[in-house]
Amino acid sequence: MFKLGAQIDAARGVLAQATALPFLVRAAVALCGLIAIGVAWPAELIASQLTAPLLMLVAIYPAVAPRGRGATSSALVVVAGWIADTVGVGAHVELWRVITIATLLYLGHTLTALAAVLPYDAIVSFDMVGGWLLRAGAVVLVSAVLTVATLGLSADLAGGAFVLATIVGIACAVGATILIARLLRRA
Amino acid sequence: MTDRLSLRTAVPPTAAGGEGEAWAGPAWVPTRALGRAVLLTGLFLLLGVALGRVDLVLMAAPFAIGAAAGLRRMPRSAPELTITADEEHIVEGGHVEAAVTVSNTDVIPYDLVVLRTRTSPWLKLEQADRPFAITVPRDGWYSVQLPGDAMRWGRQPVGPAAARVAACGGLLACRPVVVEARGVRVYPVTEPFNATEAMPAAAGLVGNHRSRRPGEGGELAGVRPFAPGDRLRRIDWRVSLRTRDLHVAATLSDRDAEVVLLLDVLGEIGLSGGVAGSASVLDTTVRASAAIAEHYLQRGDRVSLLEYGAAARRLRPATGRRQYLTVLEWLLDVRPDPVEVDENDYDNVFGIHHLSSDALVMVLTPLVDPRSADMLAQLTQSGRYVVAVDTLPADAKVTGGGNWTPLAGRLWRLERENVLGRLREHGVPVVAWAGAGSLDLVLRDVARLALIPRGR
Repeated sequence: MFKLGAQIDAARGVLAQATALPFLVRAAVALCGLIAIGVAWPAELIASQLTAPLLMLVAIYPAVAPRGRGATSSALVVVAGWIADTVGVGAHVELWRVITIATLLYLGHTLTALAAVLPYDAIVSFDMVGGWLLRAGAVVLVSAVLTVATLGLSADLAGGAFVLATIVGIACAVGATILIARLLRRA
Repeated sequence: MTDRLSLRTAVPPTAAGGEGEAWAGPAWVPTRALGRAVLLTGLFLLLGVALGRVDLVLMAAPFAIGAAAGLRRMPRSAPELTITADEEHIVEGGHVEAAVTVSNTDVIPYDLVVLRTRTSPWLKLEQADRPFAITVPRDGWYSVQLPGDAMRWGRQPVGPAAARVAACGGLLACRPVVVEARGVRVYPVTEPFNATEAMPAAAGLVGNHRSRRPGEGGELAGVRPFAPGDRLRRIDWRVSLRTRDLHVAATLSDRDAEVVLLLDVLGEIGLSGGVAGSASVLDTTVRASAAIAEHYLQRGDRVSLLEYGAAARRLRPATGRRQYLTVLEWLLDVRPDPVEVDENDYDNVFGIHHLSSDALVMVLTPLVDPRSADMLAQLTQSGRYVVAVDTLPADAKVTGGGNWTPLAGRLWRLERENVLGRLREHGVPVVAWAGAGSLDLVLRDVARLALIPRGR
């Protein structure tokens, strides 16, 4: 009981000290997670009283504890829902859904990275947040263009999606391996 | 006997203590965001290939592109952190300008620098209690200004400051860089002090006070018959014409005096509220010392300072403006310095022989410790001209929440009054510090006492 009272007092102190921009960053993390889950998961499961609170909790948790593994779990839950919807329920892979999920997953990831190093009571320079969002926007834009081009190409190839996924996947895997090797050499 | 296993120490050895090269870990380390990006990229690619789903591969694209864009150039050096603070003459209540600067000598910009600074509670610097989140361009710098007011005398530290930097889109973070604190010298505000009374014993060669010795000066001592060696301009023609014999006006020589300010730092009593709030014992002691020293140094006297505490710090007697600045600097380091030894042993720590026999000794003391009263009595017994300035705050009270606390406080007050009375009986004038003119009456009494021929 005493511990709970102390925690409430601590939370009250945190809220009193909190500044607007760090709060908005965390709110954006939660919003990205919620929308991503809403787009990715089947409508029946989202409407269910059993799964809805759990999904909301998973989406909001990275905003509350950005330094933990919550963001990774949230992204995995989004993709799990996406696979369940497209494979299990049989929904079509639509372009807008793929772009929205990819964009929101990346925004959630990069804003969680920002929230992890940004103290809740910091006096934040607008240049810093603006620059961060600009870089994220550039990445999202390039990815969206790539998505549109690739999905269009796969539609043109008509049935060659498996081959295309294999080629692109192997290319990306090679890129990721080179990246990890560089990091390991650096460390 | 086998050789001891050479194990890595849990704590990195410091440069000063360790042998050989100091431990130096990488300044930049991957963050959890980098691990997440790599994990999600790999997992999405794996699922895409395994399930033959190009959409899953495309979901990995932003993570891969973001990581590649962020890590295309890696940071090589750690950020540099410096604290700058006012070097000017700052008095309590004055304005202070401090700044913390982060320099980036690297080839990449710092996306986020979180800057934290710790400052003295007596420096009211704007927003200094909050972290600052800024960005620093490559080969550039950013300075966080911390303007504010200095609320209390002393060496008030700005810092230490620490910076934690995130670069490459938050994928790499620097280990915290810490810089040592920088002291701001805040001089005590000198309450106006003015004493018009003569010094009890002027002992120097030149100065403004009339001495008891005949010589060249302005104070008339009497008229006496002319003697060989007297100057012609000293002849008093009126008296000479009346008596039909040459007479000269004899004067007393003008000399300076030594003032010793003895600061009782055995303890601190009362709560200091800074320049605008209540004054503790040390506040009153330091401000009064500065005012008294300023007054006597302006008059050309020699002033020395001495601490009545464990360290027994001492400032040699000197005169002039330079000594005044030295006094102010010396006062910045005044702090409670209790003596833990048995009170009987403390007699040997403070040597009365350090004090000149002709000096006017002004003891600034709260007269709470019995050793202070003993010291005053010993000084008077040894023939010094002593004035005790009571620095105890008027609202000082015994702290504690017990039922007997008020009664104990009243008893303590009565006992203290008894000590003051006994000191006065022994010829030690005790006066409460009240700024300008507060010591005039006491100084006059001491000067009169000094006219009585000494001899024991």
